[in-house]
Amino acid sequence: MPATQQLFDVVIIGSGAGGAPIAHTLVNAGQSVLVMDKGPFFRPQNDDPMGVSDYKRDELISDGPEKRLIVPGLANTGASFYTSHIEPDLNDEPHIYRNGSSGDYATIEGYTCQCVGGGTQHYGGVSLRFSPLDFRLKSFNDGRSDLQRDVTDDVKREMRDWPISYDDLEPYYTKAEQLVGINGSRENQLKRASADHYHQPLPPNPISEYARVGMMALGMKPYRTPQAVITEDHPSSGRVVGQLRDQTWPGGPKAAYVNRYGDALEYKSNTWVALLRPISRKPNFTLWPNCNVTYLESEGPRVTRVHYRDESGRQQVVSGRVIVVACSAIESVRLLMLSAEQSPDFSARINQNEFLGAYFLTHCFGGASAVMPGRYDKSLSVDSDWATDACGTEEYIRSMGLWAGATIYNNTSDQALPIALARTHGASDLDTLWHTFDNDTGMVGDRYRDFLNFQFNRRLSVSFMANQLPQRSNHIELHSHVRDKWGRRVAYIVKGWHPHDQYLMDTIARRCRDVLAFGGDGGTGNYPVEGFGGVYTSENSLARIANHILGGARFGTDERDSVLDPRCRAWHFDNLFVSDGCFMPTSGSGNPTLTIQANAFRVGDALLASGLF
Amino acid sequence: MTLRVDRDSTYVLNYCTRALARDNTDSRHNYGQFAGDDPRARIAEGWRFPIVDSYYDGVSLENSQRFNSVTFAYANREGVPGDAIAVIGTFDELCTPIPLRRVDDSIFWAVTLVIPKGQFHRYRFLLGSRSVLDPVNPQRMTLTDGTLWSRFFTDYCTDILCFERWEVSLLERLTNHILPFRTTEGQRFLNIYYNNLDRQSKVTQYARAYRLDQPVGVVNFIDKILAREESHRLIDYKICLELVDRVLRLRDPYEDPERMAAQLYAELYDQMASGGFLAGWDYSRYSNPRFFLQLLRRHTHTGAFSHPKHGGNAGAAGWAYLANNLVDPQTGRLPDQVTASTFFDWSRGLEPPLGRNAEYRG
Repeated sequence: MPATQQLFDVVIIGSGAGGAPIAHTLVNAGQSVLVMDKGPFFRPQNDDPMGVSDYKRDELISDGPEKRLIVPGLANTGASFYTSHIEPDLNDEPHIYRNGSSGDYATIEGYTCQCVGGGTQHYGGVSLRFSPLDFRLKSFNDGRSDLQRDVTDDVKREMRDWPISYDDLEPYYTKAEQLVGINGSRENQLKRASADHYHQPLPPNPISEYARVGMMALGMKPYRTPQAVITEDHPSSGRVVGQLRDQTWPGGPKAAYVNRYGDALEYKSNTWVALLRPISRKPNFTLWPNCNVTYLESEGPRVTRVHYRDESGRQQVVSGRVIVVACSAIESVRLLMLSAEQSPDFSARINQNEFLGAYFLTHCFGGASAVMPGRYDKSLSVDSDWATDACGTEEYIRSMGLWAGATIYNNTSDQALPIALARTHGASDLDTLWHTFDNDTGMVGDRYRDFLNFQFNRRLSVSFMANQLPQRSNHIELHSHVRDKWGRRVAYIVKGWHPHDQYLMDTIARRCRDVLAFGGDGGTGNYPVEGFGGVYTSENSLARIANHILGGARFGTDERDSVLDPRCRAWHFDNLFVSDGCFMPTSGSGNPTLTIQANAFRVGDALLASGLF
Repeated sequence: MTLRVDRDSTYVLNYCTRALARDNTDSRHNYGQFAGDDPRARIAEGWRFPIVDSYYDGVSLENSQRFNSVTFAYANREGVPGDAIAVIGTFDELCTPIPLRRVDDSIFWAVTLVIPKGQFHRYRFLLGSRSVLDPVNPQRMTLTDGTLWSRFFTDYCTDILCFERWEVSLLERLTNHILPFRTTEGQRFLNIYYNNLDRQSKVTQYARAYRLDQPVGVVNFIDKILAREESHRLIDYKICLELVDRVLRLRDPYEDPERMAAQLYAELYDQMASGGFLAGWDYSRYSNPRFFLQLLRRHTHTGAFSHPKHGGNAGAAGWAYLANNLVDPQTGRLPDQVTASTFFDWSRGLEPPLGRNAEYRG
């Protein structure tokens, strides 16, 4: 690209769930849009000039070889880690966490991905809407005295309603479901939909029947998990499917290789194939991958220049009338903080209150896992088949003394491939991959055979996703001394679980266990379930079951209490918007990607109406 | 003349930016695979260079699968004139430099060649009249005349690069002790499997494995991963295999370890695993034999069940074992060979000719 400064209507930093919908909206409205991404542009087969994808069905490539953490002074310095080409090398750019008294850890958690499409390349594709209740948890909890383990009334004090309602966002959920390309079923969901754009799901993997039977036995009405995987031709993105209804046809989206990794065949609806490629030939759209934005420069309330390193590492600048930051929550907050370091005026504006970086959120998650009676070919699966909102009803929430609810769904593709089986065997987090298998030195010969016989393609897990309580103490800041390969301070995340979070996780995990206990033996509830619990029970709670990073720049109606206004514009800036998951004041009772996409579509419309162009 | 193909700038920059665009001068990527102030220690994942990848001629998958595309990249920070950057290597005539071309307006120069699978090669860059090693690739080889070259290998390579013959023998015995295939039914399965591979599969998938003395090719996998992705672990193997050899010879001074009874290996393995004192082991050179076993276990499992292009799972035998040799827990029966049902239809998802997927090209 040219090394000279250029001016666009909009510069969007980040091409994932928070950035791509805005690009799609504004390009189609005729605005000139530049999308920048720090990461590489890995392509599906159809987009590669040679016709081979950068995404390989190869566990060694998708998981990555062993590396060792060299960043000094951390609790896990010297530890092994495994990252692939879709994530940054931790020694180049770690996220560093402090978790209680365990010390500081570097981990891959917090990186949803670092490539064009962001986390939508890597995720399993579960695309749940948040429930209407998720948008008004403060109002819902006002006056309650039955909340378990909230001895200091943190729930009521830290709670915030969203400045928009479910009904405000609903049209954008519908739009996102249509344009992204999602299969699932509507019946039994708590979330009202004005239109149903779901593709018809493919037949579930047989192992998932245990989950469905268990849910039914418990009165939990199941539905087919909405997933960003197309099962029909998808006109808006130009994608066509093969002979999917012929179960003998050796093709289609069911391949366990892609359920935590990119898809060479475009069935998985990442933001590149769904939203950006359809606009990529328009003259007013520009994509710059491999470009690392280092900081934003402003003059008064206007961000005037975006400073970045180009593919060669040379310092460059580009400008836009509007700047959208959508790098995923931790990196967006980090970019804003790094920009504040460069300019006292920028700092005064973005730090006009104390909330930039504050109220970092993930999800309360966990579940249960069991070896089921039968063996099934889980390598032919999508990420999940059945879900239920039974733990998201107001009735259930109140009955259990919870502040918010959860969605439960089964994970079909876990440990469906042989390397995944061994590396995740007994692992509760990223720091314990391979540990159990490697340490079981007695597992040789006959015992190794028995391990494979007992475990391979027999394990089923049922997981939950629930709101994490916002806490001021959970926050993102810049690390005091660890720097990335460009010399910039890396992100430092302080994160802990409130006692109510732990109670919530224990409660919902027991329901997940019940699903397997009832599903495994046809409904009597006595099937043995060997493990269940919330993520907080793992040694350092850095499980990568779900890389959901949210909060840190919440939106709201009061500039004294939020970083962004209801349109996700940074207070005290005219042209700076932030649209990834950091806008959320609460994390929702489901996977966040669809909500981020829907909100980004909403922000796109707000930009068109803003008069900024 | 080696065939040159175009890989577009996006493809090349995807690798070059991530690994080579940086300001750091610290050795933040040295886990022990580099000495002193080797500049390669600044670079993330330098082992990815040259970029060995799939090749497709746009016409025939079967023909294309015999080759890799190999992309050589050079970061021209010195400002060498663009037409003076070339590569020479044993994939072509060494006297014929192959020019690299600039990638857009970046600092990177690159060229992509089509090279047969199953080979290793040495190469150097030419900068004008100067011949230099690849400043990024950790792989190097020293010829008998003492000259140093950069090295790479393509998929399915079965030439042993890191070990001497006696080390390979020890590794075969150790990994055989770990693997599930040494059971009676496991050995029977593998014998039947390899004998029943259709002729085409033997030519395309197993032919390169003919030099392997053990089925499944786990030792070859270990050799390749230590040559490339995990070269920092080679020192563990070098030290520990020497110590294992010494301990075995102390226990049986009259037999070569290669021919020692399986029971001796089993006993040694258990003693290493126990963490207790192991007579004859030099703890000043390697303090934790159990750690070496843990490393070996991860590599053994990965070698047995990863994609065959990495050197193990020869002929997909490891996958076939999982598909056909695990019983239905509800009936106790093996998958029905008559109906061809299987609990792991691995070939359905993978590229031809290894697999039978109708869409994916690898």
